[in-house]
Amino acid sequence: MADKLLISVSTIQVSAARWHGGRLGICTIFENSDAGLAVFRDYLDQGPHLPVEIMVDAVEEDYRFESLPHSFGSDRTEMIARKLKQHYRSTQFCSARMQGRDPGKRRDDRYLFCALTNPELINNWLEAVTEAELPVAGIYLLPTVSAMLIEKLNLKQTNLLVVSIHGAGLRLSFFREQQLRISRLARIDGSAGEAIKNYAEEISNTRLYLHALRVMTLDEHLSVLIVDRNDTLTGLEHVIARDNPNIECRRLGQKEIVSSLGVTVPVMESSSDALYLQLLGLRPPDNNLAPATVTLGYRQHQLRRGIYALSGVTALIVALWCAMAVYQIFDAQADTETTRRQTTELQQKYQEATRQFPAAPTTAENLRRAVEVSQKIGATTRTPEIMMDLVSQALEANPAIVMKLFDWKYDNSEFAAARDANPGQPSTPAFVPPPVAQVAGKRKESALIEGEVRPFRGDYRAAIDSINRFAESLAQQPNVGDVKVAKLPLNISPGLTLSGNTTDSREQAGKAEFIIIVQMKPSA
Amino acid sequence: MNAAELKALQAPLIILVIVLGLGAGIVYQLDQTLSATKRELAQQQAQMREARTRLQKSGEEKELIVRYLPNYEYLQRIGFVGDEKRLNWLEGLRLSNQQAQLFGVQYQIGSQQQYPYAAELNPGQLTLHQSVMKLSFQLLHEGDLMSFLKALGKQGAGFFAVNECKLDRANAGSSIRFQPNLRADCDIAWITLRAASPGERK
Repeated sequence: MADKLLISVSTIQVSAARWHGGRLGICTIFENSDAGLAVFRDYLDQGPHLPVEIMVDAVEEDYRFESLPHSFGSDRTEMIARKLKQHYRSTQFCSARMQGRDPGKRRDDRYLFCALTNPELINNWLEAVTEAELPVAGIYLLPTVSAMLIEKLNLKQTNLLVVSIHGAGLRLSFFREQQLRISRLARIDGSAGEAIKNYAEEISNTRLYLHALRVMTLDEHLSVLIVDRNDTLTGLEHVIARDNPNIECRRLGQKEIVSSLGVTVPVMESSSDALYLQLLGLRPPDNNLAPATVTLGYRQHQLRRGIYALSGVTALIVALWCAMAVYQIFDAQADTETTRRQTTELQQKYQEATRQFPAAPTTAENLRRAVEVSQKIGATTRTPEIMMDLVSQALEANPAIVMKLFDWKYDNSEFAAARDANPGQPSTPAFVPPPVAQVAGKRKESALIEGEVRPFRGDYRAAIDSINRFAESLAQQPNVGDVKVAKLPLNISPGLTLSGNTTDSREQAGKAEFIIIVQMKPSA
Repeated sequence: MNAAELKALQAPLIILVIVLGLGAGIVYQLDQTLSATKRELAQQQAQMREARTRLQKSGEEKELIVRYLPNYEYLQRIGFVGDEKRLNWLEGLRLSNQQAQLFGVQYQIGSQQQYPYAAELNPGQLTLHQSVMKLSFQLLHEGDLMSFLKALGKQGAGFFAVNECKLDRANAGSSIRFQPNLRADCDIAWITLRAASPGERK
């Protein structure tokens, strides 16, 4: 619970005490006069900068219990503001608090309107607080503060009249179903010998007063709680019970107050309002009479505190994160150092082990790979020998075929197949090795055979038959994958012009030249 | 909120901004340091795993060395492993020409380049290169071609692969007995392999 300054203002005196650590300090009393006000100003100037909560105990108060149509949001706000303005034109210290709904069909909202009808009572004191630049959190009427007493004592009576003696007189606050309905301050001379009797009479009269206000009927049971902070009202409960049989009366003595409310005897004896300042310190009521202009400083104070708290929380989170990060960094660095040491040890052991190795020019892995690569190259290289054997066998079987050119290669390119379409091209096929960066596909062993049919006397049919037989001989070899006749002596395509002569003369018949491309089956 | 109210909040807002700024800066800096430290740790752990694996496999490594070193040294001797030995190739050509009783061999060696079929051989960290040699020579008959290639292979001058061979009839003007009848043009690739020395190992 944050520290704050609690001030009680009555027509006779002003009590001020610091709320610290959840407890009320000794009250300082100031006379409600100019001299008292001057002392009060000094008191504020010398004290710490704390938010202020002010409680007023005065006759000039007003309570109105009223039902209003049920409404929400801005409608409700506007309606309440209108009602407050209507009821309390002469004071800015007023408030309204909803106290539930009517049980009737309309289910109207029930409000308690209350106000300090004489603002002059606190204006000077409030001004002193404002001049001292202390933020005002709220201004409350003493009876609204006493609602906390019922909660603390866990009182469940339907009709409860709380009676207590204050500097300004006898305070009588009526609670129906634990909610304040009305309160009055009666000025009774308590110094006379007949004090107890006078108090009892006033309480009896209050019962009639409540009946007159239609707050409760005379038939209803009424409970009276006498708050006797200094044990001066001993016996009052018996007098009341004797005069009013249907009133249940209980006196709350000093000892019980101390045990149940946590206020110390010295504090309670320092001011007649100390008990209620204690209740105010525990939790201020909802009925705050202070207008927004008065609590502006307090709102700023809260905002400042919120920002400071946010800064603090941020700093704390950052600090925690940093602590965690620093821990992780040190941890990781330690792990790194340990790992480095272990790595060095392993490397040393490996070096020791390698001393037993035969001296090698490179790593074992490179040795293995180099040997394997050499074996693979040996297994994949080819020579023209097999192809030459195949062609030799085919030539032996076809004596009319004379070979003029034999071109063998082993790569992933093919001989130019367009030679037959361009008979005027040179007989040597253009072979361009594949670029290093564009090698794709498996290598194939292939050969281009350029030859002619001899003797040739113009019998193209016989020559072509010989060439085809030669090609067939090649194709029948088990290693041969494909044989393609790329050029024949005579192009009989309908798309081309064809000319010649039919003489048997060898010189005039021309040549029966051909080109065959042989491709071996790919090796496994 | 008006200017006066903002002014009242000036100090806490400045403190908040400072805290946020400082906090963000410190967090960023520490985060960078932490990331770098974790990276270094991961790197070190990887090195340790590698060192442990290498140690565990040292027995296996020794076996590999014992098994493959003789072959490797042979490959070094014949010039397959290491730098090109063009003099050996030329000496091989000369001797092969003599042994195959050819009429002389004309050669042209191209510049060294990457071996285009290296990927098929899965060489790992080894690099394979080739230098294509164009040969031109004359033959009595076609059988001399294979005699020459076999003789060249036996010289131990290096590893080569025949890319292409073309046999063409020579223009024989007369029928003298030892007159070359064929002309051969061959492309052969001298293949070499380069391995990192133990000092270059990571």
